[in-house]
Amino acid sequence: MMDFMAQRPVGQEFVRHVEDGCPYRADDVMKPEQAVSTGTTLVVAEFDGGVVMCADTRTSTGQYCANRASRKISKVHDRIFVCRSGSAADTQALTSFVLHYLGQHAVELGKQPTVNTAANLFKIMAYNNKDHLLAGLIVAGYDDKKGGQIYSIPLGGTRVRVPYAADGSGSGYIKGFMDANYRPGMSKAECLEFVQKATALAISRDGSSGGMVRSLVITKDKVEEAVIEGNKLPVDL
Amino acid sequence: MSGLMEYNGSAIVAMAGENCVGIASDTRHGIRQLQTVSCNRQKTFQVTDQCYVGLSGLATDVQTVSQLLNFRMKLFTLREERKMQPRMIGNMIASMLYEKRFGPYFTEPVVAGLDGEHKPYLCTFDFIGCLSTAEDFVVSGTTAEQLFGVCESFWRPGMNKDELFETLSQCLLSAADRDCLAGWGGVVHIITPDEIITKKLKGRMD
Amino acid sequence: MAAVEEPQDYLDVLQSHRGGFSFENCKRNAYLASQVAIKPPTAMKSGTTICGIQLKDVVILAADTRSTCGPMVADKNCEKLHFIAKNVYCAGAGTAADLQHTTEMMESQMELLRMATGTQPRVCTVVRRLSSMLFKYQGYVGCALVLGGVDVTGPHLFQIYPHGSTDKLPFTSMGSGSLAAMAILEAEYNENLSVEEGKKLVAKAIRAGIFNDLGSGSNVDVCVITKDVGGTILRNFEKPNERKFRAKHAAFPIGTTPIMKQEITKLVSVEEDVVMRD
Repeated sequence: MMDFMAQRPVGQEFVRHVEDGCPYRADDVMKPEQAVSTGTTLVVAEFDGGVVMCADTRTSTGQYCANRASRKISKVHDRIFVCRSGSAADTQALTSFVLHYLGQHAVELGKQPTVNTAANLFKIMAYNNKDHLLAGLIVAGYDDKKGGQIYSIPLGGTRVRVPYAADGSGSGYIKGFMDANYRPGMSKAECLEFVQKATALAISRDGSSGGMVRSLVITKDKVEEAVIEGNKLPVDL
Repeated sequence: MSGLMEYNGSAIVAMAGENCVGIASDTRHGIRQLQTVSCNRQKTFQVTDQCYVGLSGLATDVQTVSQLLNFRMKLFTLREERKMQPRMIGNMIASMLYEKRFGPYFTEPVVAGLDGEHKPYLCTFDFIGCLSTAEDFVVSGTTAEQLFGVCESFWRPGMNKDELFETLSQCLLSAADRDCLAGWGGVVHIITPDEIITKKLKGRMD
Repeated sequence: MAAVEEPQDYLDVLQSHRGGFSFENCKRNAYLASQVAIKPPTAMKSGTTICGIQLKDVVILAADTRSTCGPMVADKNCEKLHFIAKNVYCAGAGTAADLQHTTEMMESQMELLRMATGTQPRVCTVVRRLSSMLFKYQGYVGCALVLGGVDVTGPHLFQIYPHGSTDKLPFTSMGSGSLAAMAILEAEYNENLSVEEGKKLVAKAIRAGIFNDLGSGSNVDVCVITKDVGGTILRNFEKPNERKFRAKHAAFPIGTTPIMKQEITKLVSVEEDVVMRD
């Protein structure tokens, strides 16, 4: 069930009609099209009683911004969400596979699936197809077993549980800020402010992150979505 | 100039007239610029009574595709006991070429024919099966650019079969004069509701 | 990893013609490519401007009508708005052959689905099928689509990239002229526009592409999809680039072209009586 990439025609079998770097034309029909990627900033942090997820909203194709209000935080189950970075197509496909399998699993289980299960599904897919995928994921959510949890699944398909995580091209600018300012056991409001601030800081420095700051607070009882528009970001530069 | 589409050289043009349609091609069979093998290579093929297909591009694929077409046409007539209309032939060629999207035949066909109501039907394809129809004229081959130019100015609506022949041949000859890969004589087929006129043109042999 | 199967005999070749892509020429083409210094053959690409907007209960799509083959204009008035179902249409940019065949395939899939379920197809069904197909081909099938439709859940507008990623948006543009078109949409789009205003807006956006992007040109096609009527394509809604002149010279006199040989085949119709035998 996991080797969905096997259906795909093998890359090397295609005839290459043009040497690499051919200046004559950029539109060789035998080559794949340019990929759409979410040059991204994703920030996720645990607090007392849940998790906060945060992402920018810019999707780009090379220099061009393909979508300035995209949703990079996707729902996987009632209380489990995933932040996607890397290739838009790969992460969307991955998410819809997990959505499908986790949905089936939840029906069989008869209760809410755990974040651990969801993260594990993501890991299996990402790891088994790591040669073909460009996907950095952060799975986060709330379940009754372990409360709020964050699992980071970077490029190769490793799965690590972390108290807070940042991913995407913008994450490099804010790792230090997060290490300095994160405290375990923050309140919901504190944590939300911290995460939004971190994302806004990354947006202000990273060219491929931008747009608005979307955030999601997942607790035992509810999921709250919020958005800060691009001209109201909590940074004064 | 190198590349499979330019390897053998060809000029194909088809035009619509009043209740008639014509297709013309050059006859050179060459290998790049250096060698001319013969000057009676067939590049237009009759597929039904009132429909011709012109195949430009790599000579080996022109022959293979023409044979494949022949096979399909015969199979269709056996199974369905009727003739294919030009529009149907167009769609069939499009799917035949697109089936080989990732390992294509290097040929760009042109379809010219009269349909059931004697209305002209013209269409052309790229080598992976993108069908595009036209009301006036279609061109294909290494001479496509030159042909586009002359046809844009010489084509006029409502030509009869003789006018169509003259226009078609003049367009082909003048365009092929500016393509060193094509030329060396030409052949024109004019399809009218009750006859098919095939004329061999006296072209430059250089 | 699935390997390309090598046909062993004539039957294998016939078998391989039963649907799907055929890779039987790949090896040969690779060989030819190694023998001849290759310049790639130019397939038709639509260096395009396409756009779409979603209003209160209507979706409007628009496209230019130029298709190019390298720097050459291959078709001056092609159709880039494709029918998928009565209530779903799409505008395509990218490799013309891929667009034509992918949309035709989707059209037949949706018709079969409609007949099997007895319900109108939904936009999300089309999007999911297209995106999983495009993802499977990993960007090698070059379809960039703006897909719009109105179904039981209301109007929807999607953009789909060649690799299979999708976005749901209120207004969008794609193709080489998308930057020009997006500038217009960003400035003037508003969800409260009327249908007429919407048509004018998309046409203006496409015009921006036609005049500012070299890969786009000729006329503007518009498609309006409403809940009651379904989709209607307004072919050549605007024609800002009519041919300005046509030479008024006389036709070539008969006999201008020297011929060597003439053959005339008379077509006769043969009426065959059908004889029933037992």
